[in-house]
Amino acid sequence: MPHQCTNCGRTFPDGSKEMLSGCPDCGGNKFQFAPSSGTTAAGTASESNAGAGGDRTGVAETSSGDDSEADPDGVASRAAETVRGWVSSGSPDESTGGSTRDATTADPATDTATADAATTDTATADTTTDTTGTDTTATDTTTDATASETTNIESPSTSPENAERGHASESASSSSETQPGTTSAAESEGFSEWPDSARRPEDRSSGTESGADQSVTAQSPTDQTTATRSVTEDQSVTADRSAADDRSVADDQPTGATDVETNAHPVESEDSAQASARSEVVPADDLPVDAGQDGDSGVVTDVGGNTEAGADSRGDQPPNDGRVVSEPSGEQPSIEDLRAELNEQFESIKIVRPGQYELNLMELYNRDEYIISLQEDGRYVIDVPDSWHDGADE
Amino acid sequence: MGLLTELKDSVSRVTDRLFTDAEPKRIGIYGPPNAGKTTLANRIARDWTGDAIGTESHVPHETRRARRKEDVEIERNGKSVSIDIVDTPGVTTKVDYEEFTDEMEEEDAIRRSREATEGVAEAMHWLREDVDGVIYVLDSAKDPITQVNTMLIGIVESRDLPVLIFANKIDLDDSSVKRIEDAFPQHKTIPLSAKEGENMDEVYDNIAEYFG
Repeated sequence: MPHQCTNCGRTFPDGSKEMLSGCPDCGGNKFQFAPSSGTTAAGTASESNAGAGGDRTGVAETSSGDDSEADPDGVASRAAETVRGWVSSGSPDESTGGSTRDATTADPATDTATADAATTDTATADTTTDTTGTDTTATDTTTDATASETTNIESPSTSPENAERGHASESASSSSETQPGTTSAAESEGFSEWPDSARRPEDRSSGTESGADQSVTAQSPTDQTTATRSVTEDQSVTADRSAADDRSVADDQPTGATDVETNAHPVESEDSAQASARSEVVPADDLPVDAGQDGDSGVVTDVGGNTEAGADSRGDQPPNDGRVVSEPSGEQPSIEDLRAELNEQFESIKIVRPGQYELNLMELYNRDEYIISLQEDGRYVIDVPDSWHDGADE
Repeated sequence: MGLLTELKDSVSRVTDRLFTDAEPKRIGIYGPPNAGKTTLANRIARDWTGDAIGTESHVPHETRRARRKEDVEIERNGKSVSIDIVDTPGVTTKVDYEEFTDEMEEEDAIRRSREATEGVAEAMHWLREDVDGVIYVLDSAKDPITQVNTMLIGIVESRDLPVLIFANKIDLDDSSVKRIEDAFPQHKTIPLSAKEGENMDEVYDNIAEYFG
């Protein structure tokens, strides 16, 4: 409800055209814009909501998956602990607890919708394949940035989270890479190094590289496929669903979707090989999507512990990773699209911050409203064409 | 515009028609900030009415509300042309208070920035609703090919409004009237210095010819 009639208090959704001819209830022609995080979220929310809806469902699925996966959870927790040991920076306890909390809280909280989606995504990513995390991290950071703008509270948590995510994604990518062989050792090494700098993982992934990213993203699908193959578990199903969801989301969000898809298809072949290798090494792991998950989950938990969403949820939600990847990638364009959409609707004047404005001259020229009174806090007053002020202005 | 304004306008136009042969055309002086719009408006107003229109300043966005001087009678070659001159705030796509912080306190700069933004909105609204012709003022010492100039002149062209381009500040060393002529060859460009009063005869000739 970004717009509110200052006279009767009626609220209008962003982009409502009702208010263009005055408040239908009281005839008032002054509206205030509530720039709360919720409003901006509303904009982004539309997509994020779609995504969020998917995420939530994904979460629910993942939760069910978690239940079924009690075993993997245990593995994940163990891995998480080991990872914690490796990663001094992460506070595992908080991560797991916090992560679960966050996930739960995230669902109800619309404000954090974007952040939640990101977290859920990461969580899902963890379960499916951490590798996607690398790709998503960039997008996640962006989403986080937007989130931070909209909601002050989240911003602090998100920023660290991003760094952690970066670690996690890196670790995940490394794990995914190493997964075919011995995941734990590779992971341990990767982890020890990763904590040093969040961004390094990408570099490392670049070391294994851009290819690594692809492999990772690819792996996620492979993991899923392997999981489905080796064990048709709820998780695998959920993973597949999530992947499908993610892809669909990605489709909605063009760039991310394309990335995911392209990555996924080539990867799958590799995945099968990796999956076979995994099955050989640890049959039990195959079921829970472990090799990837173990390392991933551990990493994830660390990450989650550091910043946000429950590592548990992530471990459970690996399938969501696909989404995560797609969403982040999708989110950037979506934000741009939203901005364009807003520009078309109301944002003839964008308040960058008090005293700094960006003007859309064509929109200003095309407006029926006579004048916009700007206020420092981002509120504005529209003088609708019939306003008395028009006479006064002259 | 509001009903009151429209009523007032219609009434004033009727009365104008009663007392003059033709209703004065409302000529909007448009251009980017600090092009010399207010200086030109004051020059024209002072030359023909003795009054000034607005305050001139080297700080951009000094004019933040459109100001109108009605019934400016310009006599050319024994013929009298009556126009309303509207001095509009400089049009830009970005307003940043930090542009003014050297000249004033931050709080004032922020307020100036906000008012300037409102002024741009008003100027654009005037362009849409209340202008019969446009004098587009450019600083001839600056590159005329900008998004704002291109867009505004495009809007004017789309409305088939008569437009004159004034290459102002020819008294500056960096002035290049040709650069403006080349940028907008489809319109007549008149060099002048509103501040120094250079070439004002040609300015008035063309105003009378285009907007009379």
